[in-house]
Amino acid sequence: MNLSMKDKIIKRFLEAKDEPISGQQLADDLGISRTAIWKHLQNLQEEGYEFITIKKKGYKLIAVPDRVDAAKISSYLKTKRFGHTIHYFEEIDSTQRLAHQLARDGAKDGTIIIAEEQTGGKGRMQRTWYSAKGKGIWMTVIVRPDLLPHQAPQLTLIAAVSIVMAMKSLYTNFTPEIKWPNDILINGKKCVGILTEMLAEMDRVDGLLIGIGINANHEQTDFPDELQEIATSVAIEEKQKVDRAQLVAEILSYLERYTDEYIENGFKSIKQLWVEHSCTIGKRIRASTIREVIEGQAIGITDEGVLEILLDNGQIKKVYSADIEIQNQ
Amino acid sequence: MFKVQELREIIKLVDSSSLDEFLYEVDGAKIKLKKNQGVVTEVVAPKVQTVVQQAQPQVQAQPKEEVKVEEVKPQAESAAPAASTSEAKPVNLDDPTLHKITSPMVGTFYAAPSPDSPPYVKVGDKVEPDTIVCIVEAMKLFNEIEAEVKGEIVEVLVKNEQLVEFGQPLFLVKPTE
Repeated sequence: MNLSMKDKIIKRFLEAKDEPISGQQLADDLGISRTAIWKHLQNLQEEGYEFITIKKKGYKLIAVPDRVDAAKISSYLKTKRFGHTIHYFEEIDSTQRLAHQLARDGAKDGTIIIAEEQTGGKGRMQRTWYSAKGKGIWMTVIVRPDLLPHQAPQLTLIAAVSIVMAMKSLYTNFTPEIKWPNDILINGKKCVGILTEMLAEMDRVDGLLIGIGINANHEQTDFPDELQEIATSVAIEEKQKVDRAQLVAEILSYLERYTDEYIENGFKSIKQLWVEHSCTIGKRIRASTIREVIEGQAIGITDEGVLEILLDNGQIKKVYSADIEIQNQ
Repeated sequence: MFKVQELREIIKLVDSSSLDEFLYEVDGAKIKLKKNQGVVTEVVAPKVQTVVQQAQPQVQAQPKEEVKVEEVKPQAESAAPAASTSEAKPVNLDDPTLHKITSPMVGTFYAAPSPDSPPYVKVGDKVEPDTIVCIVEAMKLFNEIEAEVKGEIVEVLVKNEQLVEFGQPLFLVKPTE
């Protein structure tokens, strides 16, 4: 895991839970002097970490700023590869843009870019994505799977399944549902958006940049007027503030597991999970593209993740790209 | 009553089998499939309609009514090289001196980054190997396609928002080196 000295120190404290750690022990473990440790702790206090000194035992961490930084995420991490390199920012224009650059420079499989705030977050077709400061999870996961380009679109559905499973394992007060292909809704309102970009040649995927935006700790008043009726957050639905770093780590666990499962055994088992958690299949829907509007019954997805719509005239139409509206909730 | 998913499965199985005709009856619901040139399916709903599970799609077939099920394959509008004389101008697909930029996957072709933007490239534009010429998207996976060669765009073979097939030529480029 690539952590800075500062992050290593925080991680040690987070993992120690309530146990105090002596300065000498920290210095020995991390291979730096006690003076250096002391300086790091001073700096951390300025960033909002609070330590108390317990006589003859050492330091104890008693308050952690509400951030999704590398130390905090890695203290929860149980993965083999994903999240082992974390690029964390207080503010960034777009995690996706930096991911492009890092991927071209050879970033490892599972590298993540995460920020407290995005000033230029983007959605489909250059629509803007509202990324409030300190409230959400705004991140890009760089995945470099051994796949052919035409096998890559399924990964966007796998990302949605991973987030749903992570939410189900951590929270109990709501049921997340997937709207084709990979929006996540709670009680019919959007909570998660995923946009994936692929770097590929004809016969090889260089990298997939899975951009994930999660409304995590937003209160209803945090959303702009135009999103009031259509957006929600994990905290609103769970009825309490959530630990964003813990959710990130849980998502990375599932994403790593299901990506590997897909590469080894194909889409079948994950497709099953997708269908089970879908709020699209079985519903009457309207699928809009710029060219046309298709209405009918969503009857399933193919092994490629393509949506199948049964039209009123009995034809079955395959849809690769569209905005979906569910008509009978 | 059959669930739509079950119907789909049955149709798929019969479709890919060597059977010409298939009859299946369970709990008063009956499905009869016949294969001709196309796939014509007859669904006879039971007289007494049983309650289907909530949230399951219903095939509201009236008794004796025929429901046509037809697989609509994604229509790539100018997929076959031979048939792609769409704009009534000569197509140089067979010209070995021209480089073809092809689609690495099935998906929607976008000539521009957004509906309001100008296209990435147009005929006559000079491109470098890493110039982005279009996006192909499926299931919200966006793939920026690069020119791969240095040269000049001589033809755009597909229309904006058209569905393209794997390996389908999208642009012809006249290499300059």
